Amino acid sequence: MPVPFEALIPLGLITVFFGASGVLFQKLKTSVNEGQPPRYGLDRWDRVMMERDYRLTGTQRGQTHQSAAPAGFSTSSAWNLETEHL
Amino acid sequence: MSTHRETTFLSTGKFVDPTPAPPETAHPEVGTTSAPLKSAAFFIGAYCKDYNEDFMLCKDENNDPAHCLQEGRKVTRCAMDLISKLRENCEKEWEAHYKCLEKHNQEYYACRKPERTFNECVFSKLKLEKVIPGAAATPIHLRENTIYN
Repeated sequence: MPVPFEALIPLGLITVFFGASGVLFQKLKTSVNEGQPPRYGLDRWDRVMMERDYRLTGTQRGQTHQSAAPAGFSTSSAWNLETEHL
Repeated sequence: MSTHRETTFLSTGKFVDPTPAPPETAHPEVGTTSAPLKSAAFFIGAYCKDYNEDFMLCKDENNDPAHCLQEGRKVTRCAMDLISKLRENCEKEWEAHYKCLEKHNQEYYACRKPERTFNECVFSKLKLEKVIPGAAATPIHLRENTIYN
């Protein structure tokens, strides 16, 4: 009895669709995070440090290792713009 | 209290401070982002131990933000000094370690190999060692096998 190859066609289609959506999703996440996997399990410390990184480098996941910050860094915090929530 | 809340304006993109503070009041700040700092954390702790402890004890007396500014500036200067020393001596190993950390959600366990080379470089050039206070007989960063012991 020959192999029923027609039954393998939907199997192949499903595999291709799963695979393609998985690959596309991974590419999307990697491109948003500048070529790195996304951060997960972030607590307040990590969020505050990531905000500081954004102020230092200008991009979301950029990293630098200079010793001195650029000139306007110490006064570039957004706290002055926050309104008081009373 | 606004110091315990995260900012909400950063997500809207660029912002401009309407009343910027004059530049003379600004002291130099550390220009290193989170991954290099995490990579060099134990060395900063070893190198700047006195200034850090001074600052923490001073803050312990009075937690007002305006209180320990001078000790805080000393801490900043010490950290900047160590960072420039690391850049001079062990820049490639440091970069390798923190780039590895950035790929793995800044978890130490995932980057032991670059960490080992970086620690060896720092020990040979700057005589600083990574010591985990309160660690077991073999600290985790020195164990070959972390699963079966």
